[in-house]
Amino acid sequence: MKNEGKENVFDGYWLDELATWCQHGKEEDTGFEDLYLERRLELRLHSGHGIRRLEECRTEGAAARWRTPGRLEIEAATGISPRTIARLFQDRFDARDLRLQRPLPSPELDVPRGWREEAETLIDLCSPTEMTIHLLLRRAVVVRPENWHEIRAPLLVRIETGLQEGTTLLTTWNHPPLQELAPLIMTRASHRSWHPQSDNAVPVLFSKGTTGVLVHELVGHLLEGDLLASGASPLAQLNSQAVSTSNLHVIDDPTRFDLPGAFSCDDEGVPAQAVTLLEDGAVRGALCDRFSAAVLDREPGRGRRASWNAPPVPRLSNLVVPPGSTPPEDLEADIRNGLCVTRISGASVDPGAARLVIRVEQGWEIRHGRRRRPLSPCEITGTVDGVLSAIDGSIGNDPLPDRHLGWCMKGGFPLPTGSEAPSILVHTMEVL
Amino acid sequence: MAWAPGAQAIERLRRAAVATRDLVVHTDATRWEVFAKASTTRELIFEPTPPVQVSVVHETGVAVRTVCRGEAGFGAASGIDSDAARVAVGAAQASRTLMPFDPLPPSRLLGTTDTTVSRTLPPSGWAAHAAEKLTHGIVEAADRRLLVRRIVFHEGEYGRLLATGEGFVATHQDATISVLVEMAHRDRQDMTCYEWIWVPDPNIFDADRIARQMCDRALLMRNSITTRSGLFDVLFHPEISAHLLGALAPAFLPCSEDKDPIPKLVDRNGQLAAQALTLVDDASMSDCPSNAPCDGEGLPLRRHLLLENGVPRHRLTSRLEAQLFDEPTRGGARRLSYRDYPRAGISALRVVPDPGIPAAELLRGAGRSLYALRLMAPVSMNLLKDEFRLLTSGVWLDKGVVEGFQPVVELRGALSHLLHRIDAVGADLGWHQTPAGFVAAPTTFVRCLKVVGR
Repeated sequence: MKNEGKENVFDGYWLDELATWCQHGKEEDTGFEDLYLERRLELRLHSGHGIRRLEECRTEGAAARWRTPGRLEIEAATGISPRTIARLFQDRFDARDLRLQRPLPSPELDVPRGWREEAETLIDLCSPTEMTIHLLLRRAVVVRPENWHEIRAPLLVRIETGLQEGTTLLTTWNHPPLQELAPLIMTRASHRSWHPQSDNAVPVLFSKGTTGVLVHELVGHLLEGDLLASGASPLAQLNSQAVSTSNLHVIDDPTRFDLPGAFSCDDEGVPAQAVTLLEDGAVRGALCDRFSAAVLDREPGRGRRASWNAPPVPRLSNLVVPPGSTPPEDLEADIRNGLCVTRISGASVDPGAARLVIRVEQGWEIRHGRRRRPLSPCEITGTVDGVLSAIDGSIGNDPLPDRHLGWCMKGGFPLPTGSEAPSILVHTMEVL
Repeated sequence: MAWAPGAQAIERLRRAAVATRDLVVHTDATRWEVFAKASTTRELIFEPTPPVQVSVVHETGVAVRTVCRGEAGFGAASGIDSDAARVAVGAAQASRTLMPFDPLPPSRLLGTTDTTVSRTLPPSGWAAHAAEKLTHGIVEAADRRLLVRRIVFHEGEYGRLLATGEGFVATHQDATISVLVEMAHRDRQDMTCYEWIWVPDPNIFDADRIARQMCDRALLMRNSITTRSGLFDVLFHPEISAHLLGALAPAFLPCSEDKDPIPKLVDRNGQLAAQALTLVDDASMSDCPSNAPCDGEGLPLRRHLLLENGVPRHRLTSRLEAQLFDEPTRGGARRLSYRDYPRAGISALRVVPDPGIPAAELLRGAGRSLYALRLMAPVSMNLLKDEFRLLTSGVWLDKGVVEGFQPVVELRGALSHLLHRIDAVGADLGWHQTPAGFVAAPTTFVRCLKVVGR
């Protein structure tokens, strides 16, 4: 049994009993995989047009998974009571055996005292037309035959401002304190912006806080177990092969609780552990759930669920690129005619076409090593192997978390992810 | 006990409302509203090789809004038992904040509705049968040039109830089915196409007709590549028209004067768009994917005329936004889920073709023009700056004859120009899912747009 928690929001004795009972599913060869229980709290403080409005939402849900040769099934229902669980199992094996005592009343999920005052101070500092601050707290348990694992994740803070030309930030509570986010929220795009010529292939400097997005798309998604197992990823056949500069290392680290993608265990009950994805520019690891890990003969640990009612799929947690030794000014000084990206508003990778597209929200035209004109929003693109091989060997010494893009979408399901990376120069990317 | 909404659903929701009422009346709330919802969704994913992936989700929840002496609160909790009611009422009371006006609609504005069961789900097994027929139909219609990679059937059934302290109760039950098909070209497997359709009635699911319809667009991508740039007439496929109109939807929501895009977009005659464009939001009709008798706050749903022959008419408002921005309360509040506060939003936006030109006639009648087929990136639209940008793929046509395929083309410029140059709309109205909600749009013909081929 595993119970690392100090302030359990689930009754441990009840979970012990439940895990023992789940053993029936295994013994009866029903294909039972696991039972997932989740509790969530979301607080939203809206401010706009002279009023402030608070909303509180508490949800609970359970999901059971079954795997037989012809069918993968997940059945989920609201609630985590013994009655709910019995109903999830009723057609599979005899739920009459589930004579569990009711769990002890668990403490309500709660957020830090004084959060509202801090949130209101941030709103006062920024004084935007409209702003919403979300606090999201999740606690979950994965029950497998004869064991269970509690999942802890950091308290997340999501900030949204305005509908048009708004900003979205995702961070963890107190990393940094809310008020320190004000400069990120108040940054505005310049009106005298310049759109780079389409079809131009130029060097692009991804400044600190934006490199994480590039690596997330370029390395993280393409080393997810489902894409590797199906052969859809362009990196599928490149294990141990060098794909980029030998100075580039990429690690997926869910133990970094200062970043939004952290967890103590993944949503299949595998304890969190950092995975090296690229080492000295060569492909080393993969991000696998239990299923793809079995197919690829790798370690599981990245089966993540978007919610209690979604199945776990291989997903990233926090991508970390260790810093190099080059000051970012030196990287910029080397560019004769190129772009410097300072904020990204979206990015995607198409594994089939092996191409990624990055939507640049803010940046600069660089001429002879100097920032010349601010960029207007534009897209830059490149092939996966082309961009990886065009990464300069000099890695910046200025790692910074990216707080603008933390909510990663895959198959329509959003998940919090994090990144921390220094400035990186890509010798050539195309402007769309 | 039945999981699915089914026959007992509304009765269970009523019990949840009663449990909530019993708790709220013991608080100091002077006005209150309870919204309860139960839904069951089933998603089946078929791929060429097993296993079939099945996801069944039973979800219930309660949301409570309370008003008391200049304060208002909102709380939501999963479940519809007494515990859920207790948590939701507690959350609503704990989240009370100062509110200069009453955000709940006055009871005189509310409609009266009875339970309606418009549609029901097909029996289990229907999706597997339909997927098999659809796969066969696509392979045959495409003459084996297309592969079906994945078919996703999404079946949802829900019941919901809205009750207020003044005795108003509205209930509604419905079901909806949609299909997403992922296809690839047999000889160019990196060319993937997705087709989504709403299935209004599974009893008349014509797999062969749907398969032909899905293949049409995918097969156009097989033409030889032609790259052009310049000023051209453009025909937008209904899916692209729907996404464009979905991106335009914020123009029909209430906002402060300084953020109102309409004055910046209308011409001197007050036209926001060409006369060919009339838009309504109408979820009261049964031919849309999510119909309902009342909006998220209990106001009777009606046909909201948003744009009449290009002239803006009305906006969709929730009660809160109506009071904030001094607009009439018309009944345009939408709840994305029981967890969300009701806010103005489109429920079922549709173009009124009146009567519209058959799409084939539009395609044949156009001279040298671009037929924009598929979005390559989400629509980028800045209403306040009067800008739009579309990245699409498409084919070049000349009098209905295909001249070549353009994998990526950029359309960029002033949004007002795009809207004023809409010359004709087709009669081939179809429902599409957009980030803003469901939109029914036809093929749209726009004159003289700047096209940048890539």
